[in-house]
Amino acid sequence: MTGRYAFILAGGVGSRLCLLSERRAKPAVPFGGKYRIIDFTLSNCVNSGIFDVGVLTQYRPTSLNQHIGIGRPWDLDRTRGGVQLLQPAPGLATSDWYQGTADAIYQNLLHLKRRRAQEVLILSGDHVYQMDYNVLYAFHRRNRARLTVAVTEVPEREVDQFGILETEPNGRVVAFKEKPKGGVSSRLASMGVYLFDRDALIRWLVEDAAMSHSAHDFGKDLLPRLVARNEAVYAYRFPGYWQDVGTLDSYYRANLEFVQPKPPLDLSDPEWVLHTQTADRPPVRVVAGANVTRSLVANGCSVHGEVVNSVLFPGVVVEKGAVVRDSIVMHDTVVASGAVLDRAIIDKEVRVGRGAKVGTGDELTPNRACPEHLSSGLVVVGKQARLPEGLTVGRNARIGAAVAAEDFTAAVPAGGVVDGPESMH
Amino acid sequence: MRDILALILSGGSGEQLGVLCAERAVSALPFGGKYRVIDFVLSNCCHSGVQQVGVLAQHAPASLNDHIGAGRAWDLDRRAGGVVILQPYQTRSHAGWYRGTADAIAQNWDWIEEQRPARVLVLSGDHVVRMDYRPLIAAHLERGAAVTVAVTRVPAEEAHRFGMVRVGSDGRIQSLDEKPARTDAALANMGIYLFETGRLADLLRARPVDLVLDVLRPQVAADQRVMAYEFDGYWEDVGTVASYYRASLDLVSPGSRLQLHDARWPILTRDEERPPVWCGPDARIEDSLVANGCRIEGRVRRSILFAGVHVGPGAEVNESVIMADTQLAEHARVDHAILDKYVRIGAGARVGESAPHGSPEPGAGHEWLAGLSLVGKDTWVPDGGRVLRPSVIGVGGRYEDFAEGVLGAGTVVPNRRWFEVLP
Repeated sequence: MTGRYAFILAGGVGSRLCLLSERRAKPAVPFGGKYRIIDFTLSNCVNSGIFDVGVLTQYRPTSLNQHIGIGRPWDLDRTRGGVQLLQPAPGLATSDWYQGTADAIYQNLLHLKRRRAQEVLILSGDHVYQMDYNVLYAFHRRNRARLTVAVTEVPEREVDQFGILETEPNGRVVAFKEKPKGGVSSRLASMGVYLFDRDALIRWLVEDAAMSHSAHDFGKDLLPRLVARNEAVYAYRFPGYWQDVGTLDSYYRANLEFVQPKPPLDLSDPEWVLHTQTADRPPVRVVAGANVTRSLVANGCSVHGEVVNSVLFPGVVVEKGAVVRDSIVMHDTVVASGAVLDRAIIDKEVRVGRGAKVGTGDELTPNRACPEHLSSGLVVVGKQARLPEGLTVGRNARIGAAVAAEDFTAAVPAGGVVDGPESMH
Repeated sequence: MRDILALILSGGSGEQLGVLCAERAVSALPFGGKYRVIDFVLSNCCHSGVQQVGVLAQHAPASLNDHIGAGRAWDLDRRAGGVVILQPYQTRSHAGWYRGTADAIAQNWDWIEEQRPARVLVLSGDHVVRMDYRPLIAAHLERGAAVTVAVTRVPAEEAHRFGMVRVGSDGRIQSLDEKPARTDAALANMGIYLFETGRLADLLRARPVDLVLDVLRPQVAADQRVMAYEFDGYWEDVGTVASYYRASLDLVSPGSRLQLHDARWPILTRDEERPPVWCGPDARIEDSLVANGCRIEGRVRRSILFAGVHVGPGAEVNESVIMADTQLAEHARVDHAILDKYVRIGAGARVGESAPHGSPEPGAGHEWLAGLSLVGKDTWVPDGGRVLRPSVIGVGGRYEDFAEGVLGAGTVVPNRRWFEVLP
C-alpha cells in the first residue's frame, strides 16, 4: 500500500450547524455518542490501507489539532508517512488563507513533491460513511480515468444542495452542475471524494491558480471545467450509506439513526473499526429506578433518571427524576434532577438546573437569529452554558456557549436567543 | 520519584480462581467492566509519580505482556525508566522458576541494581486498591525505617485470611502471623513493602524464598526498624472466587467504597475502540456497570458487563459478572455466575439456576465456588441447556457436556484445549 496519499479537507466553517461549529471546525463536531465527524474519514483511510494523510485545516483548528494529535488512535503515528496537520501559512504560495478547496490543495502541492503516489485522494472531513477506497482505486485504474468522483444518489428535493453529475452508462461524466436549481435529470451527487491522477491534478491546479475569475473551488470551478473540456472524468457510484451532516436537522437525524435496532452503519464491525481519541472513563453506571431505552450511552455516563431515544456522550450525568427524550447530550453535561430535555442538542459541560424544561410547547416560531437553520423544533445549547433551576426553554431556541445562570431574566420563548459572553455567530 | 523502583508481584497462578485463571495471571483478570486487576496498581504508580516499574510474572505471562505492552496506557512508555516485565529466564549456569516472592526479586537483582534505585517498593498485582504511595514513602523517610509495611484494619472474623500484624506505639511491627486461626491483632499486612535498596540486597544474600516468612519475619524478630504504615481506603485481594465476586458486586452497591468515577485518580487501562452502549426498546438495566460495545435488549440487574456483551431480547442477567464479547441469546438467563469471554448462552438456557429445593447437596469441595457457577472462555451452552449452581464449566465447554440437557449442582467440567473443540 505504499505510495498512496490522501488530503482531507477539514477547514470548512460549517455555518449551518449553528452553535455546534461556532467554536470548532465542522469535522471536529462530536457525533454518535463518542466520535468526531472526521473519525469516519480518517478511519476509512487507515482501514483502506492509506497511512499517509494530510489534514487541511483553517477554521478554528484547535479542537481538531487536539483530537488528531500525532494520530495515534488511527495508527497514524508512524515513522514513515502518518498524519500531518496542514494549516495555512503566510507566503506558502501566492496567497495565504485558503480561497477555495482547489486553492487549499494548490497551496500544499509541496507535500506531493517527494511522494511517489501515482494518484492523489482528496477527501472531505465532514461526512458520515464507511468506504473502502481500494474499490475506488480499482475503478479509477480500470477506466484509465484522470479523475474519479465518488457519487451517491440523493432525493430529488435535495439536488440543489449538492454538485450533481450526469453520466454515461459506463460512468463517464458528461455534465457537472454545482447546486443546480432545476434543469438536471440526474440525482447523482458528488460525495466530495476525488481520486486524481497526480500529474493531471498538478497541471490542472496550476492552470486554475492562474485564472483570475476562478473561485479556486473543485465543485464550482475545476470539475465543471474539466467535464466541459471532455477530460477523462468518471463517476464511481458508491452503494453504501453516506450522510452530509451539514445542517442541524441532518446532524440530529443522522445521530438518532444510530439508536435504531438496525443502524445505517455497523460501528462495532471488528473488520472496520471506527477509531477515535478515547479518554479513560469507567463503564456506564445505571442505578435502580433508572430507565434507558433506544439509546446510545457512552462510558463514563451515570444514569439515575430516564433516557429515551437519545445519544449520550461520555461523562453525562442524568440525575434522579430527570428525563432526556429524543435528544443529543455531549460530554460531561449534567442534567439535574427533575429537568426535562425534549428534542434538544446540548453541547459539552452544560449544566441543566433542577426542574428546567428544555424544549417545551408546540409553538414553532423559527429562531430569531438563524431562522433558516433552526425551525424544526430543536433546541440548541452551547458549551458550558448554565441553565438555572426551573428555567423553561421553548422550541427553536438557541442558548449560546458559556451563558451564565444570571443571564436568564425570564423563560426563553420559542425561537428565542440568549447569547453568551462573546457570541461570534 | 526517580529514586523509587516499584516491583509488582504478579506471579500468582490463581489456583483458587479455577477456570478464570486457566489462561491468565490473577493480575490479568478482568475486573470492573473494563479493567484488569493490575490496572489499579499501575494507575497508582502513575498517579503517585513512580516511573520505574518491574512486573514479576510467571503464570500465563502472555496475558500480562499483551495487556501492558510498552506501558503506554499508564505513561510508562518512557526513555528513562518505564515498565518492564520480568519473567523467569535461563542463563548458561542457571534456569529457575521463581520459587517464591523473595526468590523472584533475587533472580532479577542484576536488573534492579542497574536502575540504581534508593528504595524498592514491592506491590502486589492482585489487589484492588486506590492508593497514593507518596505518604507511605514520606513516612518511611521521616521515621528512618529499614522496611515499611502497609497495613489496614480488617474485621476480626476475617483475620484468618490475612497476615496479621501487631504494631507497637512507636509504629514498629512487633509480630507477623500468617493466617492465624485466632488473634487479637486487627491490622492486616497489605503486601506492600518499601525497602532501602542496600538493606534488601543484604537480606537477599541468604537466598530467601518468601518475602514474609524468610525476610520480614526474621527482621521483626531481630528487632529491626520494620515500621507499619496504616492505610484506611478500600483494599481487596481478589485471589479467590468469593473475594473477586464480592469486590465486583461492591462496585454496583449503593455507597460503594471503591470509586471508579474519580477524574483526579482515574483507573487507566489499555482501552479498545468500541461504540457506546446500545440499549434497545425493551432494555431494563438497574444497579449495573455496562461497558462500551454492549448491546442490551433484555434485563440486567446488579451485574457487571464488560465490552461487547450482548443481552438478547427477553434475556436476563442477575448478580453476575459477564466478561467481554459473551453473548446471551433470547430468553437466556444468567444468575449468580461469572462468565468468561466469548461464551455463548443459547436461547432459553439457564446458567446459575439454584438447585431445586430438597435436592442432594453438591458435596464437599465446592466451598471455593461461593455458591456460584463459573463458565470458562469459549464455552457454548446449548439452547435450553441448564446449569445448576455451584458448578464449573471449563474452558471450551461444548454441547456434548450437556448429555441430559442439565449440568447438576457440583458438576465440574474440565478445560478443553482450543484445538480440541474445533468444529
